Amino acid sequence: MLPMTSKTRSYSLQRRLLSLMALGFMALLLIISLLLWNYARGAANRTYDLLLAGAALAILERVSPGPNGPSIDLPSSAMEILALAPDDRVVYRVFSPDTGVITGTTDLPVPSDMALQATPVFFDAPYGDPFRFVLQGRQMNSPDGRLWVAVQIGQTLEARHAQQLSLFLNGMTGLAGISLIGLGFVWLAIRRALSPLRQIEADLSARSPGDLTPVEEASPSEISGLFDAINGFIVRLDRNLKLTEGFIADVAHQIRTSLSALQGHLSLAVDSKDPKKMHARLVRAELQAERTVRLTNQLLANAMVIHRSDRATLKPIALKPVVRDTVAEMLRDSRMRKIIVTFDADQVADGEDIVIADALSIREALRNLIDNAIRHGPPDNTIDITLGIEDDALALKVEDAGPGIPEADRARATERFTSMRQDTAGSGLGRAIVQAVVDGHHAKLRLGTARKGGLSVMIAFPRAIGRAATSLFIIIALALGLVVPDGAVAQTITIFSATDTPAMAPVIAEFEARNPSVTIVYEEYQTVALHEAMLAGAAPDVVISSAMNLQVDLVNRGIARRLDMPEAEALPEWSTWRSELFGFTFEPAVIIYNSELFTPEYLPKEHRELANFIRDNAITLEGRIGIYDLRGSGIGYLFATQDAEQGMQSQRITEILGQSGVRTFCCTSDMVAATASGEISLAINVIGSYAMSLAAQDPRVGVHFLSDYNLVMARSAFIPKIAPNPAAAELFVRFLISEDGQHVVATQSQLIPILEVAEIESWAFSQLRAQKGSFLPIRLGPGLLTYLDNLKKSNFLEGWDASVRRSR
Amino acid sequence: MIEDNEELAGTIVDRLRAEGHCVDRESDGNEANDLLRHSLFDIILLDVNLPGKSGYEILRSLRARGDATPVLILTARSQIDERVVGLDAGADDYMVKPFDFRELLARCRVLARRRSGTASNIFVAGGLSFDRAAKRAIVAGKDVDLRAREVQLLEILIDNLGRMLTKEEVADKLYSFDESPSMNAVEQIVTRLRRKLHDTPLVIKTARGLGYMAYVADDE
Repeated sequence: MLPMTSKTRSYSLQRRLLSLMALGFMALLLIISLLLWNYARGAANRTYDLLLAGAALAILERVSPGPNGPSIDLPSSAMEILALAPDDRVVYRVFSPDTGVITGTTDLPVPSDMALQATPVFFDAPYGDPFRFVLQGRQMNSPDGRLWVAVQIGQTLEARHAQQLSLFLNGMTGLAGISLIGLGFVWLAIRRALSPLRQIEADLSARSPGDLTPVEEASPSEISGLFDAINGFIVRLDRNLKLTEGFIADVAHQIRTSLSALQGHLSLAVDSKDPKKMHARLVRAELQAERTVRLTNQLLANAMVIHRSDRATLKPIALKPVVRDTVAEMLRDSRMRKIIVTFDADQVADGEDIVIADALSIREALRNLIDNAIRHGPPDNTIDITLGIEDDALALKVEDAGPGIPEADRARATERFTSMRQDTAGSGLGRAIVQAVVDGHHAKLRLGTARKGGLSVMIAFPRAIGRAATSLFIIIALALGLVVPDGAVAQTITIFSATDTPAMAPVIAEFEARNPSVTIVYEEYQTVALHEAMLAGAAPDVVISSAMNLQVDLVNRGIARRLDMPEAEALPEWSTWRSELFGFTFEPAVIIYNSELFTPEYLPKEHRELANFIRDNAITLEGRIGIYDLRGSGIGYLFATQDAEQGMQSQRITEILGQSGVRTFCCTSDMVAATASGEISLAINVIGSYAMSLAAQDPRVGVHFLSDYNLVMARSAFIPKIAPNPAAAELFVRFLISEDGQHVVATQSQLIPILEVAEIESWAFSQLRAQKGSFLPIRLGPGLLTYLDNLKKSNFLEGWDASVRRSR
Repeated sequence: MIEDNEELAGTIVDRLRAEGHCVDRESDGNEANDLLRHSLFDIILLDVNLPGKSGYEILRSLRARGDATPVLILTARSQIDERVVGLDAGADDYMVKPFDFRELLARCRVLARRRSGTASNIFVAGGLSFDRAAKRAIVAGKDVDLRAREVQLLEILIDNLGRMLTKEEVADKLYSFDESPSMNAVEQIVTRLRRKLHDTPLVIKTARGLGYMAYVADDE
């Protein structure tokens, strides 16, 4: 017996069950994750809605009735609350349904069906980006009766999304862990459940090959069918084995009988004295030898065909040429001279005749069919061979005009050693070979009556895919012509900047030296003018300004481009916002003085002493103190408002400054020059970088820090979304905040880098180091929006005007 | 006759000599190859499994030398390599052992006819005699009126005696490249030629769907 080789790919029941369970778990996880995702959104919303509600309350509280309708003093606490979501942009408005918008952005969206209530109402609405809004109203008394005043605040969703994601991921991590543990239990259960199978395996593998008794195990009801099947198979195997034994006995019998007959004829011929009888014996001996040869040939062919069907030699072949070549070759045989042979394959186009087959086996089957027709038919037999398509099969038909087989005998015809007719005496193996080929090709054999009266044998081969179908495979080769931006292409970037050109020139020169293909056009602006230009829609590549509040305002409007720069991670947290706005200098607000008039020891130590100092030196300082003109200088306004945030002191200082006839300046350089020349004796809240660089050159100018706090601002840069040349612009901003760029800032410009650049010793740096603990950096973020509120700003400036200009 | 089995070789040689043929026998591949280098034969019967050099190698070097002697391969394997039998590889026919001696002789006669028809200008079969050079066929002493295409066809059939030619192959040989051959025309030429050769032993057998084969009926 030939060893059985398993053709089906083996798989593990355990793995299959486990993967099914895993699929189930995954489906479950998917459902849970959907629920969790929604839950996380709800939770994140609830958390951050509290910020909106808190800010709304803080604002509503500060709404007061005024002569011209309700008015509002925007509390900085509101913006500070909102800034707890550090990266989100903020919009707001305070309005009354009766008198219109009091302050803030006028065109915020409100759902049409929403009524004003005293409790906060939250809703999502797009305002450029998706925003979440709170709307809350309050009724107040006014001269015209009761009046509704409402506040609407909106925030972008970044913090919410981050929170939602974090909640979701935390939840999912836990669930995934539990699922894994669950799968572990499933695995154990499967192993336990499958143990009866291992028992059968042990039983069967321990058997001797001859032991074909049924398996007798107590089987669980689920696999009793399998046991029955195995036992059924064993019974059939037993029967088949007996059949095979019978076959071998038959073969031995046939060959031995044949050879005995041959031997008999030959020995009779040898012993024969009569030459005529001897000749007759020899003729019979030759016939017998011929039969033996044929029997042997067919036994070998039978063995070969069965062997080849076991070895899986099947591959796609075209049947038409195989049939034609076989028939043409057989026609060379002189027995075929009188026989009329036709071959008809007109119904099958080239390429439609592909079957999965073994050409040699098919040739053998066809040879035997034709041989049978020759042997059993008349000498002028007609053999018609047809190749046609029947349903999904390719039908090879061999018909002859011989005697045929009566219908009743046809089933028996393909069994071994059943020759239908004694006179033509085949071995009966021919059609058995055909049957074996048919079985080996999963084909179907049909015997019938031919059109010309003889036997018709049809083999229907299952058809493989036609060549046309296989050639339908379309290979799409996508050649992505990625054009990598070439560094050699000249580019120009435009920088709108509220920074003195000389301060920036060395940085730009160094950048251009390192990037020869980039040319920089630098346009200098005043901070306020720059802000207005940007609001008007200017499209530079980079925007730089010292007015942090105005920069925050622009970025809060969503006009800045997000930049993912590794260099930004080195920056202090207060000096970046939303990965869009980047501070690159460290500039304390300082007091400068004419060192010919004062010694440092004489100057006040803290802010609260400043007012007294001015009052005490009222006569000396009359008209000789300089400050920024808050209406013209963005940085002046920034410092002033930030001082106001620090306490009531600043209000008093402003009043006293007013009484002392303070002088206002547009710019730092003028103020420093005036101090140096002695035109003024003292200047307050001067940008330290300029001051120190001038002080280093001019001994008449002294720089003074206070010990309680010194405000620090950072010059910041962003790239507008509409920048014409964003890639080159990003290169520049990266350089600006890189260590190399900061080094250039430290050594070649009068600005002070935001990064601590090592190994540089100068007077300015030693000064800064000495004051380290007292610096109070102004944070980039929504907190800076408070004093940009129109109402708040005009109130603040009116108050300032009233104080400072009273003397005029 | 190149065959290493003494018994088989002996019987074949005896049979062939009994028919009046002259037979040389070699049993070693190398010696056979040397012999074929220097001597000319009408037919070579070649066994595949030989000591020294295999039958295929002998055949290959024979054809490489440009020797067109007909070769009949004798093999014990039913799975004969198709490339050996093809026109390009050079074997003219093959037989699988054990074979009927009468069939072997019939095949030899076909090969001999084919060879004589190709090598000499005169082809004779019974009452038919065909003069290739003069393009003249005589049947029973009388000239047969053959058209040019019919002469061409007769030449083709004699060159491929005992070999099945498809209708397309016949058409390709019959017509030049720029003539567009019609299969009907080929059929008509075959029919006419067959009628004109009706009383001769040269039979043109038609197997529908397969093609044409000519053989000499007297030989069998």
